[in-house]
Amino acid sequence: MDPVNLFDLASQQARWLSVRQTTIAGNIANANTPGYRTHDVEPFEKVLDRSRVAMTATQTGHLTGGATEAGYAVKQEEPKHAVLPSQNTVALEDELMKAGEVRRSFELNTAIVKAFHRMIMLSSKA
Amino acid sequence: MIGSISPLGQQVLTKATGLPEIAPAATGAVGTSFASALADVAAQTAATMRKAEQLSAAGIQGQANTREVVDAVMSAEQALQAAIAIRDKIVTAYLEVSRMGI
Amino acid sequence: MDPLVAALKVAGSGLGAQSERLRVVSENLANAQSTGNTPGADPYRRKTISFAAELDRATGGSTVEIANIGNDQSAFPLEFQPGNEAADANGYVKMPNVNVLIEMADMNEANRSYEANLQVVKQARDLISMTIDLMRSQ
Repeated sequence: MDPVNLFDLASQQARWLSVRQTTIAGNIANANTPGYRTHDVEPFEKVLDRSRVAMTATQTGHLTGGATEAGYAVKQEEPKHAVLPSQNTVALEDELMKAGEVRRSFELNTAIVKAFHRMIMLSSKA
Repeated sequence: MIGSISPLGQQVLTKATGLPEIAPAATGAVGTSFASALADVAAQTAATMRKAEQLSAAGIQGQANTREVVDAVMSAEQALQAAIAIRDKIVTAYLEVSRMGI
Repeated sequence: MDPLVAALKVAGSGLGAQSERLRVVSENLANAQSTGNTPGADPYRRKTISFAAELDRATGGSTVEIANIGNDQSAFPLEFQPGNEAADANGYVKMPNVNVLIEMADMNEANRSYEANLQVVKQARDLISMTIDLMRSQ
């Protein structure tokens, strides 16, 4: 599926990844807080679908920002393992794995943006 | 020395743009095939860059293999670099020709 | 607020909370044998710490803060030490209600949580660096 604009897509993902990083940081910081449930952002595909739908629906009028207003839904996850008596559902290993995913995606994202930026600058040189 | 450099340059051009090697001995047919070769280079470069863009978009959405994305982007950069070198040479040659007395 | 900077702030609060927890644990361990001075006096009472999550609307992240540093109200175990200055009429001394094994396990967990928070700080810092590096040529 052809991207409307690669840079826009990359910026959207970078924003989403930053919000996810903050959520993971919150989970890890509250790993020992009684009653705290693990939070996570909605998947990136859902964010894209929302913005795609919003764009086609308002084509005649003014195009709004859609999902770019940083209004990503952060929800509490269902507990995957047995719940401790303290009602805390944070699993440090899972959170660190998620953080690794965020890092990898972010590195790919910035590398792609850098490469295409370089190519554009190259072709614009006299 | 020049003889050893030009095959190397031709190899680089062939690898970057994916064109079949042009035999240097066919001087008679060079005139017509050169123009079509240039058009091919432009088309190939555009195709490589489009492929890189599509794969990058897929990679961002988590649907492509990372190595494929990296390979496609690198090929696009190589093709672009070669195409720009050709363009610069053509412009220089044109300017030189235009400066020649009749 | 920039989400990545918010992540730094959240992880920083985690570091602070776990440090405080380690301080409480080390205080308990240091005073595990601290009895009173007069006969029948109370010894050192074990301290407890509890956390609470604080949802920061501006950043969208949940920082953690110390809710309470309280005292463990469980009973003091008695030990038979007639020579001790805190011994009561029957020669029993009230010992602190600190269980060294529990404190050591708590210390291990606090260390683990501290390391995890530190990883988040490092990663958030790296992500910010990567973003700024985009502007750098070559």
